Amino acid sequence: MTGYIVKRLFAAIPVLVGLSIIVFLIMAAIPGDPATAILGAFATPENVARINQQLGLDKPLWDQYFIWVGNLLHGDFGRSYILNRPVLDEILERFSATLILAGTSLVICSFLGLLAGIVSAVRQFTWVDRVVTFFVLIGISMPSFFLGLLMIIVFAVQWRLLPPSGMFAAYGGGDLPDLLRHLVLPAATLSVVATGVIARLTRASMLEVLRQDYVRTARAKGLDERTVIYKHAFKAALVSVVPVIGIQAGFVLGGAVYIETVFQWPGIGAMLVKAISTRDILLVQGGVLVVAAAYVFFNLLADVAQSLLDPRLKT
Amino acid sequence: MSGSATMKRVEVIKESRRPTAWQLLMNNTLAAIGFYLICAVILVAVAAPLLPIPNPDATSLAERFLPFGSPGHLLGTDHLGRDVLARLIWGTQVSLLVGISASVIAAFFGSAIGLVSGYAGGRTDNLMMRGIDMLMAFPYILLALAIVAVLGPGLMNALYAISVVNIPFFARNIRGITIGLSHREFVDAARLSGKGHLSIILTEILPNVLPVIVITMSTTVGWMILETAGLSFLGLGAQPPQADLGSMLGEARTQMFTHPFVATAPGLMVFIIVMSINLLGDGVRDALDPRLRAGALSRPRAVTRIERRDTPTAQPAGGAALNVVELETSFEGTKGPEPAVKGVSFSLSKGECLGLIGESGSGKSVTALSLLGLVASPPGIITGGRVDIDGEDILSMPETKITSYRGGKVAYVFQDPLTTLHPLFTIGDQVAEAIRVHQPVSQTEARAKAVELFKAVRLPDPEQRSSAYPHELSGGQRQRVGIAMALANDPDIIIADEPTTALDVTVQAEILRLLQVLREERGLALLFITHDFGVVAQICDKVAVMRYGKIVEAGATSEVLRNPQHDYTKRLIACVPKPGQGRAFLEGVRALLDREARGRA
Amino acid sequence: MLKLSKGIAALAFAAAAAFGLVAPAAAQTPPNVLVVGQIAEPAALDPHTVTAVNDFRILMNIYDGLVRYKPGTLEVEPALATSWDISDDGTEYTFHLRDGVKFHDGSDFNADAVKFNFDRMLKDDHPYHDTGPFPLSFFFSSITDVTAVDPLTVKFTLSEPYAPFLSNLAYPTGLIVSPAAVEQYGKDFGRHPSGTGPFKFVEWQSNARVVIERNDDYWDGAPALDAVIYRPITDANTRVAEMLSGGLDLMVEVPPDNVATFASDPAFKVYEQAGPHLWFLILNAKDGPFANKEVRQAVNYAVNKQALVDNVLQGTATVAAGPTPPAFNWAYDESLDPYPYNPDKARQMIKDAGFEGAEVTFLVTEGGSGMLDPIPMGTAIQADLEAVGLKVKIETYEWNTFLGIVNPGLEGKGDMAEMAWMTNDPDTLPFLALRTDAWPDKGGFNSGYYSNPKVDELLEAARKSTDQAERASLYKQMQELVYDDAPWLFVANWKQNAVSSARVENFALQPSFLLDLRKVSKPN
Repeated sequence: MTGYIVKRLFAAIPVLVGLSIIVFLIMAAIPGDPATAILGAFATPENVARINQQLGLDKPLWDQYFIWVGNLLHGDFGRSYILNRPVLDEILERFSATLILAGTSLVICSFLGLLAGIVSAVRQFTWVDRVVTFFVLIGISMPSFFLGLLMIIVFAVQWRLLPPSGMFAAYGGGDLPDLLRHLVLPAATLSVVATGVIARLTRASMLEVLRQDYVRTARAKGLDERTVIYKHAFKAALVSVVPVIGIQAGFVLGGAVYIETVFQWPGIGAMLVKAISTRDILLVQGGVLVVAAAYVFFNLLADVAQSLLDPRLKT
Repeated sequence: MSGSATMKRVEVIKESRRPTAWQLLMNNTLAAIGFYLICAVILVAVAAPLLPIPNPDATSLAERFLPFGSPGHLLGTDHLGRDVLARLIWGTQVSLLVGISASVIAAFFGSAIGLVSGYAGGRTDNLMMRGIDMLMAFPYILLALAIVAVLGPGLMNALYAISVVNIPFFARNIRGITIGLSHREFVDAARLSGKGHLSIILTEILPNVLPVIVITMSTTVGWMILETAGLSFLGLGAQPPQADLGSMLGEARTQMFTHPFVATAPGLMVFIIVMSINLLGDGVRDALDPRLRAGALSRPRAVTRIERRDTPTAQPAGGAALNVVELETSFEGTKGPEPAVKGVSFSLSKGECLGLIGESGSGKSVTALSLLGLVASPPGIITGGRVDIDGEDILSMPETKITSYRGGKVAYVFQDPLTTLHPLFTIGDQVAEAIRVHQPVSQTEARAKAVELFKAVRLPDPEQRSSAYPHELSGGQRQRVGIAMALANDPDIIIADEPTTALDVTVQAEILRLLQVLREERGLALLFITHDFGVVAQICDKVAVMRYGKIVEAGATSEVLRNPQHDYTKRLIACVPKPGQGRAFLEGVRALLDREARGRA
Repeated sequence: MLKLSKGIAALAFAAAAAFGLVAPAAAQTPPNVLVVGQIAEPAALDPHTVTAVNDFRILMNIYDGLVRYKPGTLEVEPALATSWDISDDGTEYTFHLRDGVKFHDGSDFNADAVKFNFDRMLKDDHPYHDTGPFPLSFFFSSITDVTAVDPLTVKFTLSEPYAPFLSNLAYPTGLIVSPAAVEQYGKDFGRHPSGTGPFKFVEWQSNARVVIERNDDYWDGAPALDAVIYRPITDANTRVAEMLSGGLDLMVEVPPDNVATFASDPAFKVYEQAGPHLWFLILNAKDGPFANKEVRQAVNYAVNKQALVDNVLQGTATVAAGPTPPAFNWAYDESLDPYPYNPDKARQMIKDAGFEGAEVTFLVTEGGSGMLDPIPMGTAIQADLEAVGLKVKIETYEWNTFLGIVNPGLEGKGDMAEMAWMTNDPDTLPFLALRTDAWPDKGGFNSGYYSNPKVDELLEAARKSTDQAERASLYKQMQELVYDDAPWLFVANWKQNAVSSARVENFALQPSFLLDLRKVSKPN
């Protein structure tokens, strides 16, 4: 198992290196440069050239890339041009915010998705199944940004139950209840789609598994239906659901971009959107690498979980 | 051998009765709703130039934010006084076009990559998949954003961005299937025949992958439309004044608090489109996926549905452990239930072994499963007869009581122990579980008993093996586990459904010997289902021959063997090779088959 | 099965309970603390390294300059300098500094500190020049030398007379930072600011808040508020939601359509202040239809500017007549009337010039400083131009990309582009964007390649004069010429707006677009 994990982690390295090259090329291909972003309306070609020189952006692209890689190997992610602070500081803060949001959503969507999937599979063709299927359908058919806006209007503006934006209150607060209050709306919105996907998959897997011979064997043993479903069928269904939860982790991380924008959650998605628009190349690099690494990690986690569940996959 | 010919015929009949994909789709109410909804939406969108709606781009600053139902503006006006209905219809056209084109482009390139990668394998595969991994690891919205930033704004560029972002999804799906196909015999054959790689991919593999591509597309179009809307929402899609649903939402967003109704129309439209596409997509998937065709996607109940038209009265079967009277089990078809077991009767006494013999599809397994309501339901229904165990009709009992018989008084041994044992639990746990269902013992005691049982069925190295998983055992060992599980609660009756069919001959002999020994030691009644008269001759006291759901001949094994009455019985007997018979065996079988063929013509 | 349903019920109950626990939200902000909704996270709190008005709104309250704008005007009054002398040739400015002022870090404010500030920005060999870049240092590019005559006297020598100099000193780029703090923090000074202003920096939590507290020792009298909290909320809609749900005390740049909502609610106060802002379209005078003066004038007739400011901007702006905003009241030419809305005339002029049905590319931005509602504005203008016979194709770009495309010149990229400027002196905009010497290849912002030697002459002369009356007359002549040449489509002058909760007192917006919180209070 350890060997497998190490192997997978090594396999991720070329992916991350390739990704960093792609990011550099893309960023170089976008018109405009950080100097324009720093100068704002005062970006004359002359001013731009002056700032670029000060930032070392007048060097050839490959030099810039290798300087960046060299620094990275020393643990230095560089300094953001626009934010005037080390990239690593910004990324760590932003990423932990995203992890809190995406992690919570992932827990919510895994739990609710599995629950809804099982209930609707077990109660197939009953009203419970129809209601669950209906809500799942709404969930996966609703644009999440639109849903987020509706949530803000209803819960924050109309009923004033929950704060509409941010991660902590501007004054006081800063404790866990404060965080949770701010977390409810964005995490709920973010988990809707993934919940739907997981619920559908769980339902389908459960129905498929319940047709398997070994479930008939379980019944032939005289097991009661609950044990058959929640022990025998569910465990088998989980094997095919777990990797999808890993993939959903990627979608949740990606989808966080909209949600972070709508709810002003200080996460890495919103940061990257801004960093792309301000051509803050080192910040984009660092951010994309961290998110990609997280994606690789989540997938690895899902695969490991899957092979823990399924002894046939052990190597 | 003769069985296979008949089987094929049965298949053909079934095939013709099977509804087409289209019928299946339309039978699925939700999918039909989705289909008609999306058709309606497409129709309206396509007809946009013909409809009596105002110019969607005509502004009228004095008439901003007219509410729903204003004269001339059914859905009101937006922040520039433009007609929302007109923009909605034109915008729907744009969004649909973009979403569908993006799916097609992504499907094309993704499938191409998947096909090549899966077919080529090795380094090419590795390289391509690393590239795909890179795309996947890049947060998808940001990738789209960056692509649009490079290409410049505009609907076409957004379309490219969304296509690129979704390529990995297709590539991975298609690659997986291609890998499986590229090692199949027909591909090898094509390769040997000298076909080029490209033509193999296009003519041999692609046709087999196509349904999957269609299914994947139908499930992603909705997602694509959402993503297009998302990009437009972020201002990266349609250029003003052109309307598309996402940019309408994005523009309306600033007025969410003051004029929420402007966002309602495009929001609802996106929802309706995506929902109906999802419904339709689900339907398409169900209709095209052969596994799901037979209606397998419904959950089997704990006990087979029992809807007997009439229940025969109990017959005083002196001392019979199992007495089956006029049992009829049917399967739901498109034209109502069709019986597969048609009034089967037999009885089994203590310590006796009854062989139920017949070819595949003769109904013998269904008969065996019907005894304790284990026929998957739907589609199975027990439509008649009774099953008496110790003089009580099982089929009249409440579910919980039927369940208590299972694995207790009556135990099953199934055919293929690889699929019938749960792959994720150790064999020790599985047997211990069977014990604990019927006996109040602790987990440790149950595990100890399981080891005892493994010893009894002569599983080598039972202590260690009990924590092995089924896939770690050989076929014979697995079947010993299956038998151990059946013995767990000292049953009176064991129903063995082709327990040796999946095994090779020597192992089969050992298992049969084991069953025989156990039967004698424990005084078990054994119902032995098989298609092999050789096996019946070896262990059964009585035999019943089944064909087309009926018992055509029954009696003491020796009697039937010596003097078979029914043609079918004779053929089955002839199919058992005798030592030293040599070539004569094959000729005998051929003669029988010829006769059958002539008879049919 | 029953158990499962029970489980769901229990879960729902738990969720409801948790919800109840978190429900008492929307508590009011505490008294004497002002929570301000910012439109973005500040780039830095070092006034010399930033360019955004958003950042200036914080900086003005932490730092002082040598001079400042008199509240409610764009006139300069003493701040850290109590008085100043200007040499007769207009090239030497001598400032007499206020005695006994200390930076928040305890170090003294004196002539050396002033010299340090300007040398850091302007001299490549200054030891702390690498704490930049300093994008707006060209405001002071005419300075050749800064001398500390004595601890309380500092002398600036300019290369040539430069009329906007004092006004530029009052601009945030002229704010004075603590040299001791720069020496201590180096590049990170922007996160550890120290000035002499009415508020002291407390903390900056990235993407969450910047907190400043009262400076009890402020030389001009301590402010009324205990503290100010700036919250960055980049999305205008969310900002409105926060304001409505009570999480903010004050927000600026209210979306026009929301102003009415706030105005009609007694829980809020709405503020409005015209400032030196101009929203216009650059017309490409080099190639395409707009090389023709009649066509440029025609589009000025074609657009219904009154409808734009009344409806799209909901009265948060006035129609612009020429290149100089009326907020520069001494330099503004009152006699100019905006081009009237006359589509028929416009259509005829375009037809006469032979450009009926001509295709024009219109570069539109998605946002950006002072750009108001650029996409709806652009779309409405597009519709007006279509109505007079031009085929207009819009291309939208995110702000930085937009600047990257527009600033190097429109040639080959577009025929018209949206633009907006907020300036502090009537010199700035025309000097940087209308002179022949300000064409992009010469380092200016004249992206439409307008050229009129008479205008060039007038602008050069106005900049060198230190007599306001003379400057005013030169600027008025310039406005008449530019009005007639119509190098731009003049659209609107923005009246900046703000909303506060009714608890906020003594707040007023400034024509300089800066946020002055010295007198603001919020007693309960």
